[in-house]
Amino acid sequence: MEQMIQIVVAGLMLGGVYALIAVGLNLIFGVVKIINFAHGELVLVGMYLTWWLWLTFDLNPYLSLVIVAPVTFLLGVLIQQFLVGPMINSSPLMKIFLTLGLSVFLQNLALFMFGGQFRTVNVPWAEQNLTILGISVTYGRVTAFLVALLLVFGLFYLMKRTLTGKVLNAIVEDRETAGTIGIPVRRYYLLAMGLGVGLAGVAGSLIIPFQAAYPLAGAHFTLMAFVVVVLGGLGNMGGALVGGLILGVVETLTGTYLDPGLQQVAVFIVFIIVLIVRPQGIFGGAARNAEVGLK
Amino acid sequence: MKKLSLPWIIVPAAIALLFPLVTSDQYLLHIGVLVLMYIGITVAWNILAFGGILSLGHAAFFGLGAYTVAILYVDFGVNPWIGIVAGGLVAGLGSLFLAIPMVRLRGPFFTLATLAFVEVLRLLAIWAVPVTNGSVGITTPADEGFLYIAFQDREPYYYIVMAMAVLAIWASIWIYRSKLGYHLRAIASDEEAVQALGVKTNRIKVLALVISASMTGVFGAFAAIYFFVIDPATQFNASLYSIQPALNGIIGGMGTIAGPIVGAIVMTPLGEWLRVTFSGAAQGVNFMIYGIVLIVMVRMLPGGLVDGYHAVIRRLKGKKRPEPAAEAAASTDKKENER
Repeated sequence: MEQMIQIVVAGLMLGGVYALIAVGLNLIFGVVKIINFAHGELVLVGMYLTWWLWLTFDLNPYLSLVIVAPVTFLLGVLIQQFLVGPMINSSPLMKIFLTLGLSVFLQNLALFMFGGQFRTVNVPWAEQNLTILGISVTYGRVTAFLVALLLVFGLFYLMKRTLTGKVLNAIVEDRETAGTIGIPVRRYYLLAMGLGVGLAGVAGSLIIPFQAAYPLAGAHFTLMAFVVVVLGGLGNMGGALVGGLILGVVETLTGTYLDPGLQQVAVFIVFIIVLIVRPQGIFGGAARNAEVGLK
Repeated sequence: MKKLSLPWIIVPAAIALLFPLVTSDQYLLHIGVLVLMYIGITVAWNILAFGGILSLGHAAFFGLGAYTVAILYVDFGVNPWIGIVAGGLVAGLGSLFLAIPMVRLRGPFFTLATLAFVEVLRLLAIWAVPVTNGSVGITTPADEGFLYIAFQDREPYYYIVMAMAVLAIWASIWIYRSKLGYHLRAIASDEEAVQALGVKTNRIKVLALVISASMTGVFGAFAAIYFFVIDPATQFNASLYSIQPALNGIIGGMGTIAGPIVGAIVMTPLGEWLRVTFSGAAQGVNFMIYGIVLIVMVRMLPGGLVDGYHAVIRRLKGKKRPEPAAEAAASTDKKENER
C-alpha cells in the first residue's frame, strides 16, 4: 500500500509537468487557432539547451531557466512571426503540415547535433529523497512539480485577472471582432506563441534532471500534452491541470505494476475510454471545441 | 477531375514496364521496387485524403500487414500469397480501433490520434515477445520460387509490386469516381453540409479508413516478404511509413489522383539519395531536409506539384488562374459534381 501511495505521488509530480506542457499547447490553439505538432520537440529544445549549458558551463539546470525561458519565448515569437503568422488564413490541413514539418526538422536537428544517445543532467541534490510521512520522492521531481504548478497558476492569474488576459480571452472568443475594436491581434499572437513555447521550454529544463533527452522524446510529449488537453477539455485550463495529474499517475502505475514498455499504451487506452464515455473531455468546454476541430 | 491525355498514361507505363529490361543493376531495381511500393502506400493514404482526412497512422497498417504475413508464414506455414491477403484483412480490422477517435474527433485531433496509434502498436510489438519475437523481429524463410515470393533477382519482385501498384491506382480512380468518392470529396469541403443532407458521414469516413488501411496492409505484407526481416522499429516506423506517404501526397498534390503517384516518384529516389549521402556523422540531415521541404511546400505550393504544373500550363496559355492554389485540391471537382 505504502509503495502504491509512493508511486501515485511520483505520478502526480510528473503529471504537474505534463499539465504545464499542456497549458502551453492549449494557450496556443486557443489564441492562434493552430494545433502545434511540434510542441513536444519544443520541450526537447528546452531539455537539450539545459543539458548543453550544464555540459559546457556547468550551469545548474534550475539556474539555466534564466536563459532557457527567454530563449524559448523568443523562439516561439520567431516561429509565429515567420512560419505560423503568414499562414493564419490557410486551411487547417496546411497548418498541420507546417507544424509537422517543424517537428520533423527539430527532431532530426537534435539527432544531427547531439546523436541518438540518452542525455541526462546529473544534479546530486535533485536525486536525493525528500521523505514526508514515510513517502519519499526525489527533490528533482518535487521541484519540477512545484515550479510547474506555480507557472500553471501564474498563467491562470494572467488569463483571469489581468488586462492582457482579458484581451487574449477576447481573441479566443472572436478574433474578427477583437480586431475591429482595435486590438492589435497579431501582436497578441506573438505573445501567446511566445508564452506557450516558453512554458514548453521551461518544462524541458525542469524534467531533465530525472528524464533523459533523446530525439524521439518530443513525440511522446506532444502526444501526452494532446491527450491531457482532450481529457481536460479544450480551452479549459483547470481541466488541463487535472488531466495532466491523471496521466502522470496512469503512466507511473502502469510502469511499476505492468510493464514500463506499456506506459503509452495505457495512456492511449485511457484516451479512448474518455472519447467513448465523455467526448467533450472530463470537464467540458465543448462549445469552443468545434472551432479547432474537436467535436 | 480533368481527363488525362493518353501520353501521360502510356509513357510512364512504358518506362515502368521496360525499366528492368534496360538495366539489370540490382540497386536500381531495388529503387524501382521502393518507388512502386511507395506509390501503392501513398495512393492508399490518399483515399482518406479525398475526404480531407489526414492520417499519420499508416505505419500501423503497414506494420500489421507485415507482421500478419510473417507470423502466418513462420509459425503456421501459411503460403505468403495467402498471407498478403490476410495482411490486408488484419490491417483493415485493426483500423477499426481508429474508428472510435475518428467519429469523435476532427481534423488535427484525429491526426494526432493516428500518430499515437502507431506508437501503441510499436510498443505492443516490442512487448508481445511470444508472438512477435520482440524488438529482435522475425526473419522469414527463403524458400525460393514464385510460390513463396522469394527470388535471387529483384526483377520478379519489381513486376509483382508493379501489378499491386497498378491495382491500387485503379482502385483509387474507381473510388474517386464512385459514390463513396463523391461523398468523401463533399466531406472534405463541408462536412456539416453533407450531414445536413442526411448522409451518414461517419459511416463513409470509416469505410474509407478501412479500405485505405487494408490496401496499406497489403503493401506492408509485400515489404515483409521482400525484405525477409521485420522488426518493430522498422515496420512501425512513423517517419518511413506514416510521414513519408503523407509527404509524398502533399508534394504531389493531396486528394488528387495523380498527386500521390507523382509525389512517390519524385520523393522516393530523392529520399534514398539523401539517406545515402547523409549517413554516418551527418545522420538526421536527410530528415531535416524533409522538414524544410514540407514547410516550403505548404508556404509556396500548397496544391502540390500537380497543381503547380497546371498553373504553369495555364500561364503559358495566357489564361488567368481561376482560383487560389490552396483550394484547388478540394474544388477541382466542383464542376464535375454540378453536371
